[in-house]
Amino acid sequence: MFEAVLSKTFSPVASRCYSHGKVETDEEFDARWVTYFSKPDIDGWELRKGMNTLIGYDLVPEPKVLDSALRACRRLNDLASAIRILEAVKDKAGPHKDIYPYLIQELQPTLAELGISTPEELGIDKL
Amino acid sequence: MSLAKPLMRGLLAKRLRFHLPIAFGLAFAAAVAFKYTVTEPRKRAYADFYKQYDAVKEFNAMREAGVFQSVRPSGE
Repeated sequence: MFEAVLSKTFSPVASRCYSHGKVETDEEFDARWVTYFSKPDIDGWELRKGMNTLIGYDLVPEPKVLDSALRACRRLNDLASAIRILEAVKDKAGPHKDIYPYLIQELQPTLAELGISTPEELGIDKL
Repeated sequence: MSLAKPLMRGLLAKRLRFHLPIAFGLAFAAAVAFKYTVTEPRKRAYADFYKQYDAVKEFNAMREAGVFQSVRPSGE
């Protein structure tokens, strides 16, 4: 009954319930977002818009997408947004506590290269 | 020791696929329970009351009590 409806409407992210039209694969989706944030002259609005859209999806962004977003923050000299991105993905993971440590592990080289502190290092992860 | 890649997509969908049928089921069960513990007894109570209801007798009792303006108690 509901299972049939759910499996059609709740497939991950940007796939709509078209009977025509191709469903985007996860790799295509990730590649599209990496390209979005890789725009050399991306502006602050596009960064915020991109992140807000990305956070609206039913997924936690892949490390490579986040890497691209963090580098965009670097180009914009926006450290605050970079740290905010880390907070946002931690929140996106919700009750799944294994996702955020994995992401930090994968992003460690990028964080070190760009000099981005994690919210935990700054002590702003506690209320 | 490096962490394995966890599942990162469709987490809400997975949760809803599990919880929504339960939610609808519980809501439906609540409605059914209410129907058979509240509405059916009420309907039966009304039906039983009116099965033996004598409208004329009730009217005369009210008339004697003096609550009507159109007919006064039989005494006056």
